Amino acid sequence: MTDELPHGGPAVLPGDVGDLPEARSIRRFTAAAGRARAGASLSSLLGDVYYAVISAAIGAAVAVGVAGQVRASLPPPPAVPPATSLSLPTLVAVALLAGAGVLVSLAGRLGPVGTGGAESAWWLVLPVDRRGLLRPAARRLPIVGAVAGGAVVALLDGGLLGDSGQRTLLAAAAGVVVAALLVLLATVVQSAGVSRRRVALAGDALLGVSAVLAVVLALGGAHLAQLPVAPWPLLVVGVLLVAALVWLVDGRLDRMPARSLRESGSVATQAMGAVVSLDSRELGRALTAGSARPVRRWVSRFHGVRGAASALVAADVAQLRRSPRHLVQLVVAALIPWLATVVPQLANVPGVLVAVLVAGGIASSAAAEGARAGEMNPILDRMLPLAAKTVRRLRMAVPGVAMLAWALLAFAALGRWAGDVGTWLVLAALGAPVWAAATVRAAYRPGPNWSKPLVSTPFGALPTGVTTVVSRGPDLVVLCLLPTWIALILRHVTPTFLLLQVVGSAIAFAVGSSIATGTLMDRLFEASGGAPGTPGSKPAAAGR
Amino acid sequence: MPQPVARAQDLLVGYGGAPVCAPVTFTLHPGRALALVGANGSGKSTVLRAVIGLLEPAGGTLTVLGRPVDERTVEFRSAVSSVLDDDAYFPSLSVAEHLYLVARGHGVLDAWDRVDELLDEFGLADHARSLPVSLSSGQRRRLLLAAGFARPRSLLVLDEPEQRLDRRMLSALADRLVAEKAAGGAVLMASHDPELVRAVADRALHLDDHANELLSAADAAERIARIPS
Repeated sequence: MTDELPHGGPAVLPGDVGDLPEARSIRRFTAAAGRARAGASLSSLLGDVYYAVISAAIGAAVAVGVAGQVRASLPPPPAVPPATSLSLPTLVAVALLAGAGVLVSLAGRLGPVGTGGAESAWWLVLPVDRRGLLRPAARRLPIVGAVAGGAVVALLDGGLLGDSGQRTLLAAAAGVVVAALLVLLATVVQSAGVSRRRVALAGDALLGVSAVLAVVLALGGAHLAQLPVAPWPLLVVGVLLVAALVWLVDGRLDRMPARSLRESGSVATQAMGAVVSLDSRELGRALTAGSARPVRRWVSRFHGVRGAASALVAADVAQLRRSPRHLVQLVVAALIPWLATVVPQLANVPGVLVAVLVAGGIASSAAAEGARAGEMNPILDRMLPLAAKTVRRLRMAVPGVAMLAWALLAFAALGRWAGDVGTWLVLAALGAPVWAAATVRAAYRPGPNWSKPLVSTPFGALPTGVTTVVSRGPDLVVLCLLPTWIALILRHVTPTFLLLQVVGSAIAFAVGSSIATGTLMDRLFEASGGAPGTPGSKPAAAGR
Repeated sequence: MPQPVARAQDLLVGYGGAPVCAPVTFTLHPGRALALVGANGSGKSTVLRAVIGLLEPAGGTLTVLGRPVDERTVEFRSAVSSVLDDDAYFPSLSVAEHLYLVARGHGVLDAWDRVDELLDEFGLADHARSLPVSLSSGQRRRLLLAAGFARPRSLLVLDEPEQRLDRRMLSALADRLVAEKAAGGAVLMASHDPELVRAVADRALHLDDHANELLSAADAAERIARIPS
């Protein structure tokens, strides 16, 4: 893009001007200045590399070991599978398709190519070849995606399904190639000026399609004996396609508009900060807000609003309704327990228990956008003439309804699996408030406190100030749904369990309504006259 | 009459297709300065973002240096210098190195000499080796302004340059902008400061939701002064 303008050169010159430098020299100058001030010696660099390699190796070994243990504990597939069922390899194939949807959605939300604040302000204004500035950023996400894709496929195929080494190698290679292709395609789409929201929506749609496909395959009784793997020639074609896309992307980097690069870089920076600080709420905000439609086609009239309480609930409903990602998330989460019950090898107590826990976590996190917004902007909770506790309780309304719907669907499948649908549906309804209370409690948790002592574990140092905060919310799911978990382990619901679940839900509701932000230990310490609570905690967000 | 540096005809700017102000029409020639004035939220910064290519116009026409705005071209980035409120810096680069990056990146040969001059002019000589994070907000603002002058340009776009500047620095900036015009450069700035508008601008465009109005700099300064703070 070097067409001559009719005006000639710039009118005002600060001094003698020569040829423009190479973009690479700009990058090197910036990096060299950073290195000069980092104070890092060669030995510390080698130490960091050693630590990273060892950590990755330990992580991989643990993952492979867990997958192997899971495989060893799985019962053998039945000789004659039921009419409505999925084989484990079929489920893994569908899960990988869902993973591809997640990857595309993430690629769309993160750019894929973006520049951080400093790069946007100080690099993008330079008249140097933009390709030279953006090459490292353009390579980053495809490489990360490819490595993640290969690792996940290898883990599932070699670890969970126990395939042979050569087949696992082929599957992993296919995972690398497909993941790289998807991210590179998203980059090409970005360079064509398509909005990030559309790419993210395409990924969400793929995720939804994978859920529907799983249902269709299960109803049709699909039984893949092994995960299908691509033959070598097809892989070679894939690699050639990746190379072609890399070349295409490189040629189009100078067509990336600065506004797109700025937006993507801003989202990526926010998301990276959230990951480093283990703040899932901030991560959700980063991934959601950046891809939302800036202007709505229609304005909600809120006809049902009759007062402050209904206004708050109506606002939460609007938030959920306007977030397709969260709606898809809810639908997918509702299908997970059902899928676990139709895969013969997973249709056992551990398999179903894990499926319900994972699905419940996915569903509840989708339903608490209003509470998370209230935590980030406390003024939202203070705008209405409502007491703080009332606000907190009202924030449970939408998650409560969403989780009730999820639980009825999920527990209907459990009831079918256990042979008694009716009582399982009652148990689901009685336990729904716990999920709602947990998700609101998690949404209003204080920020991670990194100043608390570390505890040594075989996996490395564990920051206690972070784990106590991160466990707020899941703790209610574990403790207050205990009657449900026991019923699930016994595959039988008794009236006693129903009664105990009512008590558990009442406790969860009371805890979820609490506006105290410190941990129980902090409050006990304060009550005994000790120092105030955790530095990471902050005053109650809401109320008069 | 030389060809205009920037021209907008019924330009509509906004986010998500919703305009933030009435259609904007102006013509800016070399050696002239146009001020955008108006209340907070009237769309001044949004118009500037469209002019420097960070926002797609929602309607109308907008040309810079005779071509539709396209910040991806080398020529556009060579000619248009902008100072917005981007408070982002490389964490490891000093104040002087930031300025050098801009000057050298635009091909300025004796870049360190120019950087030294700008550091003196903008009162940053004592902070040349400081990292931007250690500067006050006013000093960081001066660093951004200095960067705008560290490079060749035909059009200088400034978004409320008076922000966080004391009167002495503001007066020096006004002199700098007048000199910019004398050297043949064009200045497009959004401002709330009547003195700066009066000293620098030849004309002013008052932005409003319903209708925009082209004013003399003196009239614009008076109108700004009447806006309650």
